[in-house]
Amino acid sequence: MNFSVVTSQFWSLIVSGLALGFIYVLISLGYTMVYGVLRLINFANSEIFMVGTFATVVVSRNFYKFNQNTDPLHGTKLVLVLLSFLLASMLMSGITAVLVELVAYRRLRAKGTNRLASLISAIGTSIVLQEGVRILTHSTPWSNPRVIRKYDVITFGKTGIRNDILIVLLFAAALYFAIDRFVSKTLLGKAIRAVSMSEETSRLMGINLNRVISATFFIGGITTGAAAFLYETVYENTKYNVGFAIGLAAFTAAVLGGIGNIRGAFYGGLTLGLLEVFIAAILGTQWKSVTVFVVLVLVLLFKPNGLFGEAITQSRV
Amino acid sequence: MKKTTKSALAVAGSVALVFGAVVSSEAQAAPKQVTLAFQGPLTGTDAQTGQDEILGAKTAIQIFNDSQSNYKVNLISVDDQGEGAVAGTVAPGIAANKAVIGIIGPAYSGASIASFPSYKSSGLTMVSPSATRVTLTDPKSPDNGYPFFHRVVGNDALQGPAIVRWAVKGLTSPKLYVIDDQTPYGTGLRDAANAYITAQSYTKVGSDSVAQKTSDYSATVAKIKASGATAVIYTGYYPDGGALAKALNDGGWKGQFVGGDGVLNDAYIGVAGKTAAEGTKFTAPAVPFEVAASAAQQAAFTKATGLKTAAGHVYVTETFNAANVFLDCIKLGKTSRAGIQACVATGTFKTIDGKPILKFTRLGEVIGGAPVGGFQVVGGVIKYFGAV
Repeated sequence: MNFSVVTSQFWSLIVSGLALGFIYVLISLGYTMVYGVLRLINFANSEIFMVGTFATVVVSRNFYKFNQNTDPLHGTKLVLVLLSFLLASMLMSGITAVLVELVAYRRLRAKGTNRLASLISAIGTSIVLQEGVRILTHSTPWSNPRVIRKYDVITFGKTGIRNDILIVLLFAAALYFAIDRFVSKTLLGKAIRAVSMSEETSRLMGINLNRVISATFFIGGITTGAAAFLYETVYENTKYNVGFAIGLAAFTAAVLGGIGNIRGAFYGGLTLGLLEVFIAAILGTQWKSVTVFVVLVLVLLFKPNGLFGEAITQSRV
Repeated sequence: MKKTTKSALAVAGSVALVFGAVVSSEAQAAPKQVTLAFQGPLTGTDAQTGQDEILGAKTAIQIFNDSQSNYKVNLISVDDQGEGAVAGTVAPGIAANKAVIGIIGPAYSGASIASFPSYKSSGLTMVSPSATRVTLTDPKSPDNGYPFFHRVVGNDALQGPAIVRWAVKGLTSPKLYVIDDQTPYGTGLRDAANAYITAQSYTKVGSDSVAQKTSDYSATVAKIKASGATAVIYTGYYPDGGALAKALNDGGWKGQFVGGDGVLNDAYIGVAGKTAAEGTKFTAPAVPFEVAASAAQQAAFTKATGLKTAAGHVYVTETFNAANVFLDCIKLGKTSRAGIQACVATGTFKTIDGKPILKFTRLGEVIGGAPVGGFQVVGGVIKYFGAV
């Protein structure tokens, strides 16, 4: 065990854990919102994330023609380029999510098949997406040319917060709160919550079920796409299976926080991000997965609805 | 002319005609078809390694097929994605294909271990250009491929010390941090490096073990910075090595990053980014093809692969040598699995420079070992610095 790293790098680990956690939060929203309305795990969400990362890289390399020799951008141009990456990533992920719903869920739902069929259908869609991208990219990792010069924008003590990390923290937090407000306050948000509480009653109240479900997939898709953009801003790499590990982690975060619950995804994501970083630092990275899942099982043993499930059930989507 | 003389001439003429016909038919007979298989990662995240290596096999076979007409060697490619789990599913099919008389490969150690049961039980000889884990030829290990596994490269018992020597070269009072990727290859090379660090009393300030496909290395970076390490030795493959090097650079660490042969790949520079990749050192029991090959061999490379040069492609020379082990045996008429195994186990083979010096120990290692080369990214290009 290495506790000295915690004393010397404590705030640095906190910042890293929060940044990773916020990326988890946004992907978790994709899982948790779909679960909220359909009571199904959308296993294709990890591939929706993957599609988002490729959208960013394709716009960068093919539209802007950036490459490894491109000089970092500054000022307004940088902001506009980053916004275009964000838009591409969110749109592609959102559209992919809606298509996944149409292909993997809608018809099966209309036929009244059991949940297992939808589950297998989602896994199948996930494999098709992953293998399709694998073939298209010849299995090679794609690096994203650096457009933002990375440097510490805030320094306190020995700890610095890099500009790309600050973008993750601020943007992810803002998007999360925007989604939270949207679901609580808007008409569509209320419709989503109504469907999550009772499909039948919602239908009787005149809610167009298919429209609401598609909208839920789209919103989950754009939050996952936003996570993909942030991931690319920090890590600048992707490959066809990039979604597997991070998707599993985000799904774990959703369960840890209380799946089907927007605020559960928030707390679960941040908890998992911090837990992973601190365990890797103290026990060694090889213990990260073991410890995280031991913690998850223990939490579920004592709190089957997740860490924050009971306290915030009213926030269920 | 006497009748007897006429008869003698007629007989002689007939014999000459028959002989001529036989010789002529032999000269025009279709060459015997022989099949070898190349096994390595041709898809998956490590695909670049396999796609590089197969170039060497294609070149050797091109030269062989062009240089004689008795045999026509065909090459089939076996994609194990460099993963044991995949290799375990594809190897039985290759073992069952009786046309295949030898495996050029497997490329990776983990994939080799998973393939051994199928190939050993079907008597299929392997000559690997790049699987370097020590236990593959260790008779005490349950992972060994004896007597069918051979390799033309030095194992990690040689590369482990070399990677440490190359890491500390030019550093005063080096402080080493060792990271593996939890694969059979990565842990094997790590152990060999650690043993040498201990033996030479170098200062090791920490270690970590980070699984493949990890996205976030922030905890590892924090630990490395806290440890005061001046050099990081990474024993894994380039997709993860590149991501780690980038994270270290972005995290403000300014030491020497060193990778083994799994990291040595042009694609590493793309993953790590130009800035982080610059200065990275690598070791590999390999000699670049464009350095080792003659002009005729380089021309054959272009003819076989359609590529102008082998620069930037790894293990081409070693795969060329591995393929030639089989081709030399085929030239001697060994076209059955049993014949190939006996020939490979006892024969002496030519390396790329034409010297008949390649011979295997009973356990499948190259007699006399093989050199481990040092490489470094200089000006955005991987350069070879000779044996280290």
